[in-house]
Amino acid sequence: MQPIIQVNNVSKHYSVERTSSIAPTLREVLTLKIRRPHTNGNHENGSDLWALRDISFSASAGEVIGILGRNGAGKSTLLKILSRVIKPTHGEVHLFGRVGGLLSLGTGFHPDLTGRENVYLNGAIIGMKRAEVRQKFDEIVAFAEIERFIETPIKYYSSGMYLRLAFAVAAHFEPEILLLDEVLAVGDGAFQKKCLERMRQVSSQGRTILYVSHDLPSVQKLCSRALLIEDGQLLEDGAPEEVTASYIKILVASSQES
Amino acid sequence: MTPAQHTDAVAIGEGLPVKSDRAPLLTLNADRSPIFLGLIETWRQRELFYFLVWRDLKVRYRQTALGVAWVVLQPLLMALVFTVFFSRLGHFDSGGIPYPVFAYAGLLPWTFFANSVSTGSSSLLANSYILTKVYFPRLLIPLSVVAVRFVDLLVASLVLFVLMPFYGMGLGRNILLLPAMILITGLFALAVSAWLSIVSVRLRDVGTLLPVLIQLWMFLSPIIYPATFVPARWRALYSLNPLVGIIEGFRAAFLGVPFEWNSIIVAAVLTAGLLIYVVYVFFRWEDRIIDKL
Repeated sequence: MQPIIQVNNVSKHYSVERTSSIAPTLREVLTLKIRRPHTNGNHENGSDLWALRDISFSASAGEVIGILGRNGAGKSTLLKILSRVIKPTHGEVHLFGRVGGLLSLGTGFHPDLTGRENVYLNGAIIGMKRAEVRQKFDEIVAFAEIERFIETPIKYYSSGMYLRLAFAVAAHFEPEILLLDEVLAVGDGAFQKKCLERMRQVSSQGRTILYVSHDLPSVQKLCSRALLIEDGQLLEDGAPEEVTASYIKILVASSQES
Repeated sequence: MTPAQHTDAVAIGEGLPVKSDRAPLLTLNADRSPIFLGLIETWRQRELFYFLVWRDLKVRYRQTALGVAWVVLQPLLMALVFTVFFSRLGHFDSGGIPYPVFAYAGLLPWTFFANSVSTGSSSLLANSYILTKVYFPRLLIPLSVVAVRFVDLLVASLVLFVLMPFYGMGLGRNILLLPAMILITGLFALAVSAWLSIVSVRLRDVGTLLPVLIQLWMFLSPIIYPATFVPARWRALYSLNPLVGIIEGFRAAFLGVPFEWNSIIVAAVLTAGLLIYVVYVFFRWEDRIIDKL
């Protein structure tokens, strides 16, 4: 079968500069946390970090692939590469379809703009055409269940309303390849169910979804395949049940270590 | 399906298992893509550019109590201050032009430039929460900053249409060259903003130093005084500041005094050269900058 994404030996390297400043940047803090002693010889001086090492896989149209791994394993880095936010250091990715990355919900939402204005703004930022947003506008608002507040600035929204609106825009974005980073676990149980239903609908149209989550039940329910990433490397690629089992093993082992 | 990978499948091969019979829509790797492709993509994403401009205008006019009035008040109040202090104390010869009109006509391009640069220089940092989540041509960010300030300039220009008749002045044919002057100003502001937006990600001190430099730059530009105030033997050196040609050009366009072509040509040439350099630097650095945001 024709792949729609093909990832060949992708690695991502960050050079972490040692700064003399008293307050380290957020990234320095983060990279310290995920650095492992055995990863690279250069680590003593704190100058190297391989966020991804030699990742290869391919995906075909209609597949829903869950990506599992601990914090800092490299899941988000992988999605950032696929969505072009960052470039790989080595290797390459071939994309045979339009990619839409939703690495966070409501990217670019502005508190002072109304719900309606933010739908258009967020749509444009994630890559929807204005005509596309206009066409789906009523559907988006109905999905988010905020018809009454659509002309209200979103700073007055409850966090639930905010996330529902953000998800509704994302859910009506229909690229051939959809990247989702921890964005499904939104709202109450009923709304979550609606989100999963919507994702199933999207994939049944032949669209490919890459779905990063820590929510194992949703991975098992939604995905046809799963990848396990640990320490920047692809450990396992297979059926969701087996991969979640391996992931749980890693989690248990690490909690016993500490 | 098996996730078969063949690094060597990248080489021209025949009948390799995963080798596609169709070309990928997009290949992502560490290679630098040609700058003209970046420019083409920037143009294709102009709809997003409109949205970014629209967002900033809408938010600003909604957030501040006086909204649109600030755009006019900022240069107007400065013109007033200059009139009170400098025209009385400094006795600058504004060439027979009422000093408030003289100062305001100079403050128009200056405010456009200075506000563009001070917002634009931090624009990548300010939008990092978007830039680290979604890909789009990043040049759109400084571009949208300058576009917003351009709208401000248009609004602020309206004051002259009240101020000039008040002093019994009218517009002449020179006003036809105003669009050209605005274009040079805008491109110069874009070049400086885009360059500083990249630099300030690496050197965050830029944000602290910039207000001082902008203040200094103001005194090195013919805003409170006419360019003729500078001794003739220094004039050539002085005109290497593109804002000299730009500001005098604005005045000439509005007030009907003759254009000072030498300094305008210097400004245009320097702007063109700087812009080409900055676009090159911007596209070369934008990927590495994202890793630092």
